[in-house]
Amino acid sequence: MAYDRKQGQHQVAQSSRPDYRLVVGRAEVPVGAPRTFVVLDPERAAILRAWTATLIPAVGKRPDAGSAGAAEYIDATVHLVPSIRPALLHGIDEVDRLAREIKGRGFVECSADECEQVLRQFQSADDTDAFNMVSDFTYEAYYGHPQVLAAIEAETGWRGLGPMGGGKPIEPFDASLLERVRKLPPRYRAVEAGKSVKA
Amino acid sequence: MSRAPAADVLVIGAGAAGAAICKRLSDKGARVTCLEQGDWVDRARMPKAHVDWEVRGRRFWAANPNVRRWSADYPVSSEGQDPVDVYMYNAVGGSQIGFAGNYWRMAPSDFRVHSLDGVGADWPMTYEELAPYYTINEAEVGVAGLAGDPCGPQREPLPNPPAPIGRPGELLVDAYEKLGWYWWPTEQAITTNAYRGRPACDHRGWCTFGCPQGSLSTADLTYWPGAVKNGVDLRTHARVREIVLSPEGRALGARYYDAEGVIQEARAAVTVIACGGLGTPRLLLLSPSAAHPNGLANSSGLVGKNLMVHVQSFASGLFDEPVDGWRGTWGGTVSTRQFYETDPARDYVRGFIMSGCPGWSALNLALQLAPWGSGHHKAFDERINHEISLYMCGEDLPEETNRVELDWSQLDDFGMPGVRTHHELNDNSRRLGRDMIAHAHRVLEAAGAKSVRDFGLAPIWGWHLLGTARMGTDADTSVTDAFNQAHDVPALFIADSSSMPTSAGVNPSHTIQALALRCADHIWDRRRDWSIAG
Repeated sequence: MAYDRKQGQHQVAQSSRPDYRLVVGRAEVPVGAPRTFVVLDPERAAILRAWTATLIPAVGKRPDAGSAGAAEYIDATVHLVPSIRPALLHGIDEVDRLAREIKGRGFVECSADECEQVLRQFQSADDTDAFNMVSDFTYEAYYGHPQVLAAIEAETGWRGLGPMGGGKPIEPFDASLLERVRKLPPRYRAVEAGKSVKA
Repeated sequence: MSRAPAADVLVIGAGAAGAAICKRLSDKGARVTCLEQGDWVDRARMPKAHVDWEVRGRRFWAANPNVRRWSADYPVSSEGQDPVDVYMYNAVGGSQIGFAGNYWRMAPSDFRVHSLDGVGADWPMTYEELAPYYTINEAEVGVAGLAGDPCGPQREPLPNPPAPIGRPGELLVDAYEKLGWYWWPTEQAITTNAYRGRPACDHRGWCTFGCPQGSLSTADLTYWPGAVKNGVDLRTHARVREIVLSPEGRALGARYYDAEGVIQEARAAVTVIACGGLGTPRLLLLSPSAAHPNGLANSSGLVGKNLMVHVQSFASGLFDEPVDGWRGTWGGTVSTRQFYETDPARDYVRGFIMSGCPGWSALNLALQLAPWGSGHHKAFDERINHEISLYMCGEDLPEETNRVELDWSQLDDFGMPGVRTHHELNDNSRRLGRDMIAHAHRVLEAAGAKSVRDFGLAPIWGWHLLGTARMGTDADTSVTDAFNQAHDVPALFIADSSSMPTSAGVNPSHTIQALALRCADHIWDRRRDWSIAG
């Protein structure tokens, strides 16, 4: 989690703060592994799948996050970390309740635009961190998935498929590029070599 | 409680410094025992051995111990105006197992900060005194780079050639040439050629997620195989509880919990603490006695004080062309020390380096800036493979108010306290940081970036935890002498990142290991003082 800073919003992972970001550290859930739901009932599983598909929709060769197994990944994570199940269950129920209140039908029956509207309303009032938790886990499930990474490579040229054995050769460093710099005068302060001084 | 036969030297901590000390002393014939609270890293579990390496890097391999929570980790809380996002590993190899391999020598002026600039402290040695140990360490580690950089004293050729700089490096070279600045290929602890049984780097990238093939020169691969071959008794899962003293106050060894949680004691003629910038003050503060009521070796009151972390940031430039940033070493390409030395024309003293890196990996980039919903892919696609980054590292001056304390409100798995850090950037560091970021924008714009974003100065990127048991010549203003021996406790040495009186403005791993080698030679040279045969 060293490199994922949302500029201006990053919080230090504290040992004393109840935080899904901390408690998932020991939950190793291989992305893309075949799995079924073990915590969520079918109704909530469907809502979560639609939720994740709204967070990251499909484009080009890239599937939506629901089709990439993000909901199953989240379910597997909360299976290993029971302490964050309440936030997830509450979030799913609240999203569906909001959909029925605002759109007059359940979340899974809403259109893509309607789902996005419901989630934005849920996000704006969420004080349980459930939205951020589902979002972070969805991004993990999506950008760790081999099918997604393969599509990204095909569509953007960026290669992220681990284990990335046999990295492609790169031209060795051309030392002639240093011709100008080598002619520059030394750029460091010479300090008289002498005995140690009092600290 | 069993007491194993006494060794010549007991080293606590098998990280970058402890590994170097164990190897160096055992090369000379000393009988060495090492206690390490962690374990060997299973290379098959390294993130980069798996397709979903970025995700594993956020969980099992997370750099923050509060997230990762390996059995060897202890809780760390972070306070102060600029809290430290602590990154460290407790394992054989220490925090190097998650480092990028940037490997710098300090400059001569870094050893005379107070004399030259009127701030901080002088080191109790000169660059020239440490330079031979830099050279030894470069050979042990297999450092890649090129001698001849005019930003430092002349030196011997390095064991391996510099890493390829790729398109990101070419763009930065163009920028530095336009600006007329100094630059040089970044020195790295990476075997760019096959070296001492380790393979040449094959440019998989993203080195901090582990290098399954072992080209990244972490201490578990560089020093430890030789140390083990020499017969060093490395005991993993050994959680040290306290240092043991004789009635006369001499260090006798340490008491520790073994893997089963059973108390054990290890004794030696000399004890060396090498637990890092947090772990070392933690252990000293955990070892009070009637003679040392405020913690061991703490008559100065400076154990845990002067925590330094470097002024660090990143800036990323967006380019029209694809930059192939997924190829090559992550901490590599080229660096500049154009602004490393104090310049009276600037509104701060000391300076900084900037090192070019490829752009961000997919998950991190998405988490940083790709919003959820219908705009997600547009934001992601605009930047993936089109950004390069500058890592900036500047000097963080020592302040006694920046500190490490025991935190009895949070205990580890053995009932020992965690630590609490408190950190605030001082005014000089803030001015330096602002200037550093402004110059990074200049470089990336000169390289042709159509826009530049940066990460500011806070929270602190806590890779470098320094200065909390600093060395010096005066027992009132330092914890150890110039050779790392505790002023207050005979036969006790402290040799790791906590020893550094000032932080310099470069990644510290090379200096930590050079200091450790120098300390080892001193212990050996004075072996008759400790009744060590040899």
